[in-house]
Amino acid sequence: MIWRVVALISGALAILAGALLSAHVGPMEAIRTLLHGSLGSPAAIGGTLRETSPLLIAGLAVFIALRAGLFNIGVEGQLLCGAASCTYVALKIPNVAGMLLGILVGMLAGALWALPAGLIKAYRNGHEVITTIMLNNVALYLTSALVSGPLKEKGQQDTTTATVADATRLPWIYNHPPVQVNIALIVGVLAAFALAIWLKKTVAGYQLQAAGANPTAAKFAGISTARTTLLAMTVSGAIGGLAGAMQVLAYEGRFYDGFSPGYGFDALGVALLAGSNPLGVLPSSLLFGILAKGGIALQIDGVPKGITTVVLGFLILIAAVVRYRKVNTVA
Amino acid sequence: MLSLLLLTVALSTPLILAAMGGFTSERGGVINIGLEGMMLMAACADALASPKFGPVGGLLIGIFAAVCISLLHWLVTQIYKIDHVISGMALNAIAAGGTNFMHLKFTDEAHKGSVPNFPTWVFYILAFVIPIVLWGYVRQTRGGLRLLAVGSDPDKARLMGVQPMRVRFFGLLATGVLTGIAGVELVAYTGVFTDNMTAGRGYIALAALILGGWRPLPALGACLAFGFFSALQVQLQGTPVFGISIPAEMWAALPYLVTIVALAGFLGKNRTPAGLGRA
Amino acid sequence: MSFAVRMKGITKHFGAVAALNNVDLEVAPGTIHAIVGENGAGKTTLMRVLYGALHPDSGTLEVEGNPVRFTSSREAIEAGVGMVSQHYGIIPAISCLQNLILGAEGGTLLNLKSAAERAQELADHMGFQFDWLKDAETLSPAGAQKLEILKLLWRKARIMILDEPTAMLSPADSAALFESLDRLAAEGATIILVTHRLPEVLDHCSRVTVLRGGVRVDERLVSETNGQQLAELIVGGSVAKHTPREAPIEAPVSLEIKGLTVKGSRGDMALKGIDLKVRHGEMLGIAGVDGSGQRELFHTLVGLIKAAEGSVILNDQDLLAKSPSERIEDGVRIIAEDRHEEAVIEDWSLDENASLGLQRLAPFANGPWVDSAKRHEKAGEIALRFKTKHGGLNLPMASLSGGNQQRFVAARALCLNPKLILAFQPARGLDLKGTQDVYDGIRAACAEGAAAIVVSFDLDELLEQCDRLAAMNGGRLAEPDAAHARDRTAIGRLMVGVG
Repeated sequence: MIWRVVALISGALAILAGALLSAHVGPMEAIRTLLHGSLGSPAAIGGTLRETSPLLIAGLAVFIALRAGLFNIGVEGQLLCGAASCTYVALKIPNVAGMLLGILVGMLAGALWALPAGLIKAYRNGHEVITTIMLNNVALYLTSALVSGPLKEKGQQDTTTATVADATRLPWIYNHPPVQVNIALIVGVLAAFALAIWLKKTVAGYQLQAAGANPTAAKFAGISTARTTLLAMTVSGAIGGLAGAMQVLAYEGRFYDGFSPGYGFDALGVALLAGSNPLGVLPSSLLFGILAKGGIALQIDGVPKGITTVVLGFLILIAAVVRYRKVNTVA
Repeated sequence: MLSLLLLTVALSTPLILAAMGGFTSERGGVINIGLEGMMLMAACADALASPKFGPVGGLLIGIFAAVCISLLHWLVTQIYKIDHVISGMALNAIAAGGTNFMHLKFTDEAHKGSVPNFPTWVFYILAFVIPIVLWGYVRQTRGGLRLLAVGSDPDKARLMGVQPMRVRFFGLLATGVLTGIAGVELVAYTGVFTDNMTAGRGYIALAALILGGWRPLPALGACLAFGFFSALQVQLQGTPVFGISIPAEMWAALPYLVTIVALAGFLGKNRTPAGLGRA
Repeated sequence: MSFAVRMKGITKHFGAVAALNNVDLEVAPGTIHAIVGENGAGKTTLMRVLYGALHPDSGTLEVEGNPVRFTSSREAIEAGVGMVSQHYGIIPAISCLQNLILGAEGGTLLNLKSAAERAQELADHMGFQFDWLKDAETLSPAGAQKLEILKLLWRKARIMILDEPTAMLSPADSAALFESLDRLAAEGATIILVTHRLPEVLDHCSRVTVLRGGVRVDERLVSETNGQQLAELIVGGSVAKHTPREAPIEAPVSLEIKGLTVKGSRGDMALKGIDLKVRHGEMLGIAGVDGSGQRELFHTLVGLIKAAEGSVILNDQDLLAKSPSERIEDGVRIIAEDRHEEAVIEDWSLDENASLGLQRLAPFANGPWVDSAKRHEKAGEIALRFKTKHGGLNLPMASLSGGNQQRFVAARALCLNPKLILAFQPARGLDLKGTQDVYDGIRAACAEGAAAIVVSFDLDELLEQCDRLAAMNGGRLAEPDAAHARDRTAIGRLMVGVG
């Protein structure tokens, strides 16, 4: 078994090195650029943490569904719905009230967007992978239509909303530009710990994971798998919505067409790499943050950013081979 | 009306080809959400190769690229036995990143414009012939029967001397070829490769396959329906319907909504291959 | 003398456990040769080696005088060896004809017409009836078994391995099956029969090999042995004759089922008006051929399927109105049929599995919180109860053998004040000692006032262990009259719906 893992890792490294060399970039040099660009300076670290923040929360969203045996590919859509609705509320209601209400509404929107997938899975046994992919596309078009129509700021050239007032936005906990750390990151870390406790220490968490690990045995153990599916999906959606709301209130300050560069999809990788403990999402999202930030540095050096996505793809495969042999998923 | 029909065929073709690729994979029990990545890989490879090697060379290299991804899917799901959905997601990431890299790094400056390719009608014909061929294949050939058997129950099929891994190898080989053709068709249709040009077509093809109950001809029908909605969107863009101006985005979202409603409603008999996702 | 099959010194390890240890087997052509032994004696493993599905660590194999080395079942099939496995190899989603020819299609292109003709010839020869184009999911267990035999004939197998072929058949279907086997042997086929039913061996086989703990303990001519002697060889010591239970129990009724009707998966009625009373302290055994409605009855009592009509009262409570988890709170305990699928989570530790099904009850839970310390303590008790062999409570359930998992599952069902014990094949995968331990455990719970319903396909086991027996057939439950309450023949007749 070990040699197989070694073979896979070597194969992946060979492909990556081959790609870099064919583009006339030394692999070691590329790694150095990547690390320097993501961790080499306070500004770089600040940027990395900013990239990590949404991936951490969205990663938790995917993670909780995964523990219940569900592949929530729809976090992307839930995040968009959460972000758009939070922006709407935060623009209407000023100050802390708007902030808190915006977060709440964002989570609600995310949960609602996940609900159809949960219902269809629970009562019609329709694949959540398919429904969430479909819901993603609908969310993309819906939010795009909203931001180019009713939510669009008057007189703006771009399809964007107005900017949320500073008083309504999330505060920085460390604010010495170029290094800034937002409270959103702390919220993510706390959420990871809360989730860990909930899964490990409560009966509800036990039941959710039982349903994910063996749905038939769970039924015999008096656990309603339909209800567990609904619970996991809505909680997952709410956290996805939270990720969107946080992104608006902490960093972006507005919603616009093309708001998410694929946070929801990266979050899948984050959750898969995390293993079976929610605290694993912390290092795993940081790794993704490093690759995202370092990728920008690579791009400046003439290496297309896509290479980091390839790295992530291989990482997911390798992680799956090493320890995630089987997740109960569709069918 | 004729233009709507033609547009429907044009927009359905890549979906049909990809859905048929999904068929040879999923009917043999391998969940394949990597159709998207395979198409994308083929499209990029074709766009890079055909300026140098002509349409035939481009097609072959495009197919080769898609086959590489599909056989990687075979390798990790069958030999390494990892979850099929995880593998599919990872491969989509590899394809999306890889094509971005290759496209930006290797596109010949002299060929920034449209690349040479087959006329699109060649692909349209294939799109209608292949489902019929596959329909006959599963009913009338040994390979087809074994594909069905492995997709329904790999363990029992193994007891009958059928080797699931082998059957799935050829199934995924066919997936690579078919999604490869689908990817090349996209470049043939638009003339150029653009980043992420598949734009979710692989997922739509998979949805069509599921709506068609994992059968080639109903899946063909589902693809045509999706193509029709997309064509309608293009034609009706901005045109008021019943006096209401509907944003273009709503038309674009329609196929997805239809799929959700269909999944929520009645699919009739559950035709999911019982061995789907099983080692 | 030439042999159809000759296996010498076959050894096979699974991890550290020797499933087969230096086993020899010689089978004469044109005979029916029995292989008997307890669960886990290595019968199936030996046959899987012969069929090429397992590769022995050491030992040699000859088929019809030729040394062979199978690396897959395909090669065994080519050499004329065929096997019908314990779990039917019929794929329900494809037609009977497709099932028949799968793996031996005879060409790249299928000629279904001529295949159907040849299939019909084979069926006629054996006196079987098939609707070839129908999906195989419509077949009865007996039909599936017949199709399996035709599959061997289709492949021109000269050596046929049948692994517990009558496990799911009614006595009448079994008799018909053996008639076919006798005919095949007379025509020159060699048949190896793996079974635990000694009457089959004595009536139909010419030689018998006895395995115990992976070792061949003896091989005899059937004509030179008898049932008692074989039974002693199988268990390795003399077998005590079972003693029937004493007088009927007079305690008040605990469980009362009236007119229970349940719809089946295909719209037919799976249960057709079941009436049943079980008293406090009583262990009721339900006999029957597999698929007679036992599973539906069990699942209805657990709460997994809804009843169409009827009532179930447990200790004055309307059971049907409650959810599965409320039933567990009321003391319903389950020893499920398929432990892998229904009773454990294999990736989880024994510790975590200890509370599965009881997770909301104290001491496993403290309000909404999991009480890990108490759970760990309780897990230790559960493992100790029936001597589950394990390497630590923190190891995954998957590290246990099937029998040890079963001990754990049975002990868990009995650990927390059971009121109604629902046991489906509770001794599955257990040796005689383990079986007795588990039944003694259920009896001890009954002595404290619980009621128990035990479903088993092994009539003898039920006769030996239960206070009272009933039989299911075609969704109906029948009880023998008082004079024949423990009469094997009378209950056997009820099982097939006669009498």
